[in-house]
Amino acid sequence: MKTLGITALVPPEIVFACGFKPFDLNNIVPTSTTRPKNKLCAWTAIWREQIMNGELDLDSLVVVAGGDCHNALVDGQRAAEKIPAFYLFYPFDGNKEYLKSQFERLSLFLGGITDPGIMKTVKSVKENLMKLDQLRSQGVISSELGFQYLISGCDLQGDPTAFKEELSRIPRERGGDLASMHRVALIGVPPIHHDFHREAERLGLHIVFDEMPFEFIRHTGKNINELAESYADYTFARDLKYRFDFLKEELGKRRIDAIIHCTQFACHHVLEDGMLREHLQCPTLTVHSDLPGPVPEQLKLRIEAFSELLWRK
Amino acid sequence: MIRYGVDVGSTTAKIVSLTPELTYRVTESRNWETLLEGIPANEIASTGYFRHKIPHKIAATEITTAIYGVKEYLNDPEVIVDIGGQDTKVTDVRRNNFIVNDKCSAGTGAFLEFIAHYFGLKVTDLSKIHHKAAHTININHTCSVFALSEVVSHLVDGHTIEDLIASIHQAFAERIAQMIPEAEKIVLIGGTAQNRGITISLEEILKQEIHTPPNPQIINALGALRYGEEKEE
Repeated sequence: MKTLGITALVPPEIVFACGFKPFDLNNIVPTSTTRPKNKLCAWTAIWREQIMNGELDLDSLVVVAGGDCHNALVDGQRAAEKIPAFYLFYPFDGNKEYLKSQFERLSLFLGGITDPGIMKTVKSVKENLMKLDQLRSQGVISSELGFQYLISGCDLQGDPTAFKEELSRIPRERGGDLASMHRVALIGVPPIHHDFHREAERLGLHIVFDEMPFEFIRHTGKNINELAESYADYTFARDLKYRFDFLKEELGKRRIDAIIHCTQFACHHVLEDGMLREHLQCPTLTVHSDLPGPVPEQLKLRIEAFSELLWRK
Repeated sequence: MIRYGVDVGSTTAKIVSLTPELTYRVTESRNWETLLEGIPANEIASTGYFRHKIPHKIAATEITTAIYGVKEYLNDPEVIVDIGGQDTKVTDVRRNNFIVNDKCSAGTGAFLEFIAHYFGLKVTDLSKIHHKAAHTININHTCSVFALSEVVSHLVDGHTIEDLIASIHQAFAERIAQMIPEAEKIVLIGGTAQNRGITISLEEILKQEIHTPPNPQIINALGALRYGEEKEE
């Protein structure tokens, strides 16, 4: 099976149906020791560097460029010197017909749909991930354990059947200790620090919502029409008010005490911070990360201080 | 029983007690152990970067202890600006909100030490020199190293050291001011708050009075003590 590198929300339903195995390049970044040249955002620069150095066994690449990450658009064009690349553009206005045409073009790039039935399998895995997300929100599993699987909602670790099997084996063993912690939503890009959820929990914060992984798991469908219908609501690609309204509703359902807004050095999402604070009206800690690795001491101080201040309220 | 508040930051270590009057000692951070000789850990509430490393019974971050410490001198502070050796923390007490600059040293004590060292001055002399300035010049660079390059070029152009020190204070204060939300009661703490040049520049930019408690460098240690006492109850 050929491997397709993807850079954000690329429907795994289509990738599997076209006979490819999706591999989310972002998932290699948090534990990476690569220090790329000519870097703005470490996420895109690291996978670009690894592709350029031939360190990844990929057959093709799909870059989500429109409506999400402009650094990826540039780094993707650089990487395209090494492997064939397709640029996926989500519509800003949620136009389903436009998105359907994008998905049809994506299918053609991948050689056409050969196994349409697998979309149903992917859909059922995502339904299980939605249940897992609920269990985490209920405090039955830890932030870290939940995140580890939810973040894989983008590529289902390359094998939907094996991944579904793995999901069924997740222990449901946590309880009271999580209930006594502050309930936190993680908004923005996923943290680039691989132990972020564990550290947050150690410092008294139970992360019960991860914005980007939730986008990975809530969109699905059994055919191109259904996929276009669902993915057109991908909030990261839409206008900010649309996204914030969606978040407000989701955060309300989960009885959130506070928000951690994860931003990345040289990313335009940093500019959203003030608007997000005004719109969501919730105690907010903004994290501004750069290179991957464990949570740095400076950031632990901020998380600890944030936790202390939440007890003051 | 908590009897001491200890703040070991990136640059200096402070110990405070109230028995019953305020007494304190300050030393360099690398010598923090000398402050704790003969003091059992269960009498210490700690804060600062070393809060978990030093012996302690209770620990809290500087953001929390600053609130407790400032309240010893001022009722209902709205915003606390804590200029530390390697970062600056701005806490909006009204909203339980804070921001910290850590990507750049231009708004921290380290920047002033860097500048003082270049001119062969002590950091504690900067305030006196500021008052002798005739006028200020815009320092545009936000990076400490490039700001110094800019200062050197002004020196070459014939500007006085006094004018340049005042200009640096102005640039420093402008950087801090960007982090401060609108408020009526703004308090400045940390060792750098002893530099009147910074306070004056900040007051000129914000067009309002900036409150500075006595001994601003020990406020976090004092706050740690009060926080520890409260947690023990």
